[in-house]
Amino acid sequence: MCGIVGYSGSRQAVEILIDALKRLEYRGYDSAGIAVCGKELQVYKDKGEIAKLQESLPVMKGTVGISHTRWATCGRPSKENAHPFVDCTGRFALVHNGIIENHMALRRELVARGHKFTSETDTEVLVHLLEESYKGDTHAALVETLKKVKGTYAVAVVRSGSNEVVAARKENPLVVGLGVGENFVASDVTALLNYTNKVLYVMDGESAVISPAGVRLFDESGQEVRREPSTISWTIDDAEKGGFGHFMLKEIYEEPLAIHNTLLGYLDDISDGNSIGSSRFSSVKIVACGSSFHAAMVGKYVIEALSDTPTTLELASEYRYSPGTKELPLVVLVSQSGETADTLAAAREARRRGCKTYAITNVVGSTLTREVDEVFYTRAGPEIGVAATKTYITQLVALYLLGMRMGIARGTIGPDSLRSMRSELRSMPKHVRTVLDNSSAIEEATDMLVNARDVFFIGRNINYPTVLEGALKLKEISYIHAEGYAAGELKHGPLALLDAHTPVVAACVKDHTYDKMLANVAEVAARDSPVLAIGFEDDTELNAVADRVIRIPKVSPIFSPMLITVVLQMLAYYTARRKGCPIDKPRNLAKSVTVE
Amino acid sequence: MKAVVLAAGEGKRLRPFTVSRPKVMIPVGNRPILEYVISALVENGIQDIVLVVGYRKETIMSYFADGRKFGARITYAVQEKQLGTAHALSIAKKHLDDEFLVVAGDNLIDSRTVSDLVGYDGGPSMLVTESEIPSKYGVVQVEGDRVVRIDEKPEGRIGNIISTGIYRFNEDLLRAVEDGVGGGKIGITHVLQALVPKMDLPAVHTTGKWIDAVYPWDLIGVNAAALAVHGQEIAGTIESGVTIKGSVSVGAGTRIRSGTYIEGPATIGEGCDIGPSATILPSTSVGNGVQIESFSLLSNCLVMNNVDIGSHSHLSHSVLDDGVRVATGLASPAGCAFARVEDEFFRLERIGGLVGEGTEIGSGVVIASGSIVGAGCRIGSGVRVTGNLENKSVVV
Repeated sequence: MCGIVGYSGSRQAVEILIDALKRLEYRGYDSAGIAVCGKELQVYKDKGEIAKLQESLPVMKGTVGISHTRWATCGRPSKENAHPFVDCTGRFALVHNGIIENHMALRRELVARGHKFTSETDTEVLVHLLEESYKGDTHAALVETLKKVKGTYAVAVVRSGSNEVVAARKENPLVVGLGVGENFVASDVTALLNYTNKVLYVMDGESAVISPAGVRLFDESGQEVRREPSTISWTIDDAEKGGFGHFMLKEIYEEPLAIHNTLLGYLDDISDGNSIGSSRFSSVKIVACGSSFHAAMVGKYVIEALSDTPTTLELASEYRYSPGTKELPLVVLVSQSGETADTLAAAREARRRGCKTYAITNVVGSTLTREVDEVFYTRAGPEIGVAATKTYITQLVALYLLGMRMGIARGTIGPDSLRSMRSELRSMPKHVRTVLDNSSAIEEATDMLVNARDVFFIGRNINYPTVLEGALKLKEISYIHAEGYAAGELKHGPLALLDAHTPVVAACVKDHTYDKMLANVAEVAARDSPVLAIGFEDDTELNAVADRVIRIPKVSPIFSPMLITVVLQMLAYYTARRKGCPIDKPRNLAKSVTVE
Repeated sequence: MKAVVLAAGEGKRLRPFTVSRPKVMIPVGNRPILEYVISALVENGIQDIVLVVGYRKETIMSYFADGRKFGARITYAVQEKQLGTAHALSIAKKHLDDEFLVVAGDNLIDSRTVSDLVGYDGGPSMLVTESEIPSKYGVVQVEGDRVVRIDEKPEGRIGNIISTGIYRFNEDLLRAVEDGVGGGKIGITHVLQALVPKMDLPAVHTTGKWIDAVYPWDLIGVNAAALAVHGQEIAGTIESGVTIKGSVSVGAGTRIRSGTYIEGPATIGEGCDIGPSATILPSTSVGNGVQIESFSLLSNCLVMNNVDIGSHSHLSHSVLDDGVRVATGLASPAGCAFARVEDEFFRLERIGGLVGEGTEIGSGVVIASGSIVGAGCRIGSGVRVTGNLENKSVVV
């Protein structure tokens, strides 16, 4: 998939072409390019993201132009293979989204006729064909050119000395935007919403000529088509949030699918030969920052429980400067973006020390993936809300799978328990959906938190990191001071802070720590603190000690962090929403921390 | 032209399958019914779609998002209380142009159904079709090409032309419908019933697909109809010794183990584990993350997501909702039976068991034909279930 933009108007084209192109970055981002017609045709392109292109962009003057963001299909990502392409005479520049199936044959003929090719792409044949077909009318030449090709396209062309952009489509999307004294063309209407909400949808086989004065549409036979413009009533934000109030809520509701996608393929080959399982390392060290660090803490319990392998944790910003021991653990680096500066530095440090490295990240091709021996991709899809939600849940999935792989390779779990764990993981999307269906109970429970100055979160064992994450979520988006504590540590200090105005959220699943948790909750209740407990659906004892209970489906305790985390994420979301906080962009925080 | 798709209703008569999702999100052939509707619109060049959502709207919004994945641009209008389809229209109004289509989101249609109405250029009109059981719907009487009378669920047989709930609207008709709301008339059909004698509303006939699910057992037929148009696409891992006949699709990450026999039309979702030696017979849909163990047979079944079916089970003409777990040896055979919904009894020629989401079934259970088991039930081993079970029933 690629994205294309065209502009013809009275403003300087560069800024508009780049800005609109950024809205199409979801369509691909391995290289980008731009062509502007001013006194002469100027073309600039490079490998890498649009932001990178923008940084190095020379001054380009002109009010007509096209731009392109590429996702390589034919020809590797490189500067040469980036669009736009220019013909041999330097008059035409062309961008294309789609696949030209007969490009090999066409290319041979064109080379035989003396054309010089500069790239490995299928697209380049179009611009040379255009050059041959041109007899004074760019539109006619493009129509002529497209008759010769087999395949799919959305294509836009500019010609030196002309203020028109000529475009056409077959099976790839194209939309024309209508402005005042300026007009646009793009792969997707979201690219244009900053400039106009009046659009013409170009249908299959149609072509368009866009000039500052107007737009003309033609059908396949060359007849001019009249079409009423459509008015787009949504804004950029609405478009992307798909009906949800905030990205965070949208992304929480995407968790069942994210879990399903992350498990796909991996669940099946856990027991197949794998390098991580068989490698000789006697311990594991998980290195991460922020929420990823909490996932890492859950991972420690999982890996130790399933594979009997000693596991330690370190914050990435600390690991880099730690003295390092003689031991050579498997170093697992967890980073949503794969660009977290501290985690990257830690990966380099681990390799320098001679450790085997394993990354868990959500972004394919991110820097971290190039620094490590093996990568596990969580397939959560893009996450826009600053608070990690679905990426956190899928990091947990990744760590469960790692624990299971190591357990099988080391013989600490048998095939039968692997089978039942697999079956339970496979059902996890359904269990998360059940938690989401219970959203109204969670929303009501925010009564207990919304007016609090401080909130404590307590849990034990594998749910100790879960409550740390719950506290982090609450403080980062609702600005309520929140602390997560191992429940056993309460009596070593925090108990002094509890009173009737300090609510406590307790994760109490039926595992070997359940009785202790009940005792802790009673301890808290005795200080008059309101208690919100989270327990299994079949729990009968929590009601007696807690003020309110949120119930989750019954799963094996080792998997309970996934469900409790979803509850805590929703709790933080609804609390912040009631307080009117800017949920998707909390003050002072950024999504991916690329500074050290 | 834009379209407004009505997707706010729960579908009470389809309980327990609407416990956690609206009717439009019930999967048939592994896609929500609403997805077929959206595809039919997009294939006709109608990409700007206003979805009126209400009951369990998050399930719709998180699946379709902004519509990009489906080639559409979706805007959401929220109907907080389900006050009927005419009210839904006034909520969607601000997103619409002068002329637009109104489509029910809960009927299985194909692109021909839509093109018949798009191709008609005589202004506001009603799409009608022939039905074998007109008494369930609004029966339309047509003179020339004009609708002269609508009878909602008539007692006797007065004709077999019914309203599909799909209309071409313009501002005038919208205003007339809005003005006509009141006195218990809250559905578009009810309002039009009063209006048609006085106005000129053309009927446009379609021979395209139009299938409705009213009762839980209807899902079996709707699923079969949906599967009939699916293509073949095999991903995942197919072990040697697996037989696949007819049009069968298998999703990514699924493993079909040796000795398994699959006869299409059938679809198996992503991340499933099937067999060894399981049998899947025609018109069966298996959702994502489903496990079917050895020597189990499914025929004409609708199995949704994350279901576990233990070995030696036999299911025919049955529906298992999300997360149902069967230990082993479930018998849910098809037979002639009386089924009950809201104190109404229906005689069904061929029906198996219908089981709601999250229900856990022990070993050696028999579900008598036509039984409807609610969501979240616990059924102990060796039990024979006859008749209906409320949600969260425990049977030992």
